[in-house]
Amino acid sequence: MIFVAVGTQFPFDRLIENMDDWANDHEEKVLAQISEGEYLPAHIKWQRFLDGEEYNKNIREASVFVSHAGMGNIISAREQQTPIIVMNRQYKLGEHRNDHQAEGLKWMGKLDGVYTASTKKELFNHLEHIDQLIVADPENKVGSSELSSYLANFIKTGKR
Amino acid sequence: MPEKNKQKVLAIASPGGHWIQLNKICNPLETQFDIVYVTPGAQYSSTKSNQKVLNITDASATSKHKLIPLALQLLWIFIRERPTAIISTGAAPGAIAFLLVKFLPIKTIWVDSIANVSILSRSARMVIKHADLVITQWQPLSDNKKIIYKGSIL
Repeated sequence: MIFVAVGTQFPFDRLIENMDDWANDHEEKVLAQISEGEYLPAHIKWQRFLDGEEYNKNIREASVFVSHAGMGNIISAREQQTPIIVMNRQYKLGEHRNDHQAEGLKWMGKLDGVYTASTKKELFNHLEHIDQLIVADPENKVGSSELSSYLANFIKTGKR
Repeated sequence: MPEKNKQKVLAIASPGGHWIQLNKICNPLETQFDIVYVTPGAQYSSTKSNQKVLNITDASATSKHKLIPLALQLLWIFIRERPTAIISTGAAPGAIAFLLVKFLPIKTIWVDSIANVSILSRSARMVIKHADLVITQWQPLSDNKKIIYKGSIL
């Protein structure tokens, strides 16, 4: 199963339409969270919004998570140990108020287990090789706890 | 429940990615510290019902006229909460807070956003001389003296 999510703030019809096209040509089941999008997919089971529990369950069970370029979803994909493909909303297509998601792709693409796509072609290229997409090393999760304990020690002792 | 013996820490961030990162860093600290979260749009931001979240005015480099009300709100929060330390992931509200407490005995910790891969954020560069600790989430940006790398939220 592939889970697709566009976040809650804005629609992202281009991504949903792309995934609907892909689903039309492939056997794999696709589920999508489409927010207030106008495009209603024909080959994908969709919902506008999901509760947090179902959302995380879908990410966990997906072979790959296809998402808008949002930081929250990258973190969730890491936590659920699922590879993620992110596509950026584009300002010039009226998909966002600015182009910060295009900027986001630059750092997101440096992370293990995160794949980036700006176009339908790039998105489909990743989907051609779903079984080769890797997840982030779970050891990397240590990074976050190391940072928090370093900060706790600094607050208590003032020592770096 | 806030406990009397826990040190108080203010955690300040703008909404969106800054707020998500602040929570990733500070939620694990809630067992050790009394964390008070401060953010514009606090009414939408509480991820857990037991968190204390205070609302402030949003301000950025493009809305300078909001800086004065923001500064007054922050000062009032400092007086009321009397924190031991302030942690911020950015952007403008955190930077203003750091400048305001420069001469107070409050430790200031800047954790620059993971989005800043090749250069520290503009707000980080603004506070770098004033902060007690500046953290980058990308090793190449660390100088191991003033700018420290200790892993990232991811």
